[in-house]
Amino acid sequence: MIGLPALLYMVLVALWPLGQGLYYSFTDYTLTRPGRVNWVGWENYTDMFADPSARRAILNTFVFTFAAVGLQLAVGLGLALLLWRESRFNRIALALMLIPVTVTPLAVGLMFRAMLEPDFGILGYWARVLGLSPTRGFLADENLALATLILIDVWEWTPLMALILLAGLKSLPTDILEAAEVDGASRFQRFWRIIVPMLLPAIFLALVMRSMDAFKIYDSVFVTTGGGPNDATNVLMYHAAKIGLEFFQIGAASAVSTFMLICVGLLAASFVLMIRAAESRLGAR
Amino acid sequence: MNRARVARHAGQGALLVALFVFLFPIAWLFSTAYKRAADIFAIPPVLTFTPTLRNFETLFEFFNVPQLTLNTIIISFGTAIVALTLGTPAAYALARLDRWWAHGIAYFFLAIRMIPPVAILIPFYLMMRDVGLLGTYWALIILDAMQSTSFVVWMMFGYFRGVPKEIEEAAVVDGCTQWGAFIRIVLPTVVPGLIASALFCILFAWNNFIFPSFLTNSQTRPLSVALVSAYGSNEINWGTMGALAHFSVLPIVALALLLNRYFVQGLTRGVH
Repeated sequence: MIGLPALLYMVLVALWPLGQGLYYSFTDYTLTRPGRVNWVGWENYTDMFADPSARRAILNTFVFTFAAVGLQLAVGLGLALLLWRESRFNRIALALMLIPVTVTPLAVGLMFRAMLEPDFGILGYWARVLGLSPTRGFLADENLALATLILIDVWEWTPLMALILLAGLKSLPTDILEAAEVDGASRFQRFWRIIVPMLLPAIFLALVMRSMDAFKIYDSVFVTTGGGPNDATNVLMYHAAKIGLEFFQIGAASAVSTFMLICVGLLAASFVLMIRAAESRLGAR
Repeated sequence: MNRARVARHAGQGALLVALFVFLFPIAWLFSTAYKRAADIFAIPPVLTFTPTLRNFETLFEFFNVPQLTLNTIIISFGTAIVALTLGTPAAYALARLDRWWAHGIAYFFLAIRMIPPVAILIPFYLMMRDVGLLGTYWALIILDAMQSTSFVVWMMFGYFRGVPKEIEEAAVVDGCTQWGAFIRIVLPTVVPGLIASALFCILFAWNNFIFPSFLTNSQTRPLSVALVSAYGSNEINWGTMGALAHFSVLPIVALALLLNRYFVQGLTRGVH
């Protein structure tokens, strides 16, 4: 009974708007051209797949998500292993390392935009002078802008990945690890044969969380590149917000956000299946 | 023996390098606040500078900092109050219901968090426009609290399930009402969870940008939205941005560091 207000709240503020958005996605609803709202069927969806800008956004969003989360997993796992041993040094290092996670994402974008600025930026200037970046800087280059955004995301969220994996490492049964050491398993063998398989549930959990978030990247794109140059960093969330709340093409924007919802659902479902598979394999041992 | 020591020192060295990479940009951001324009636009860029407070003067000249800070506090604390008030009892009820569908509902709250924000924001924006709440604190708090409530329910669900039923039953036998047992016996045992939940509600709302950028106006906008305009022109430059970061970024970073134990708990427990 006491749970009803919260449930009602979710229905009113989450499900109801979500349903409305789904309906809008099949209409030609725009705020700039008042009048009747017409049912247009799948037109918004076919338009989306025909629009080069939207197609670029779909591609970019997937590239961004997989590259950023993949790098975060690799670096995060390394950091978690370094932080594994219980010590004062490691405790303090972990607390300090989590600072980027709390910094306002928008401020992170602004900060890197300033640092990468090719004329006065502390990183951008030297990269340009040493010939590592194009003269207009990393963020203004069609081939490098998305990679730069990926690295910014890696900077911001790797510590979170490391923390979740560290919690996983700390919950591993120590007797198995010790037994392996006594039996003469090398570091390499222990890592790939014992630690990684037992850590799989934690790894998948971290992957679900981070890819859900990376999929809806918005702030750093908005503030560094605005989706440019030439749609090189256009992502779905940015694309939907722009056509919906700046150009007020509600129908078209709703089709994009509904498409995002479907992608997120499929992504989550596939991760859940992988977690199940990993857990049953562990249980079978 | 010696090899183990060498390995440990190498590990610490690697961690120090990582710490430098993670902390240098933040130190740089705050240091720009104390740089003169001449130092900011020096070619080549320099790390040394003559400290000045000029940027804070510019900041207060162009931005109503007290109002922005107040807006941010109203929005983030308002969100936390609404989310905890609604979410905590719901989590308790779900944790105590011994039915298969109670778990299903808990997962439903988790699923809400996965919805791409823009899918709700666009229809919600139109709704708020129709009822005349667009630009008010309420529009933003209602939407922020929706996300946070789903988080609180999921997180507290885990904490409440860790509280043994027996201690409440004992309290009821001793003459406590069901409600009294909840308030006086169960809640005190989950205080760490409540602190962690509140911290995350505040953190989400404080750092959020896309919701306030469309739902607030120039009077109700929070610091995160103002930050965008503290960048760019000649007079309002990185120095102003660094100065504003002292108000928008520093408090939330300090709060998370201060409550580090709860922050870590929330990140590792609340998520699964």
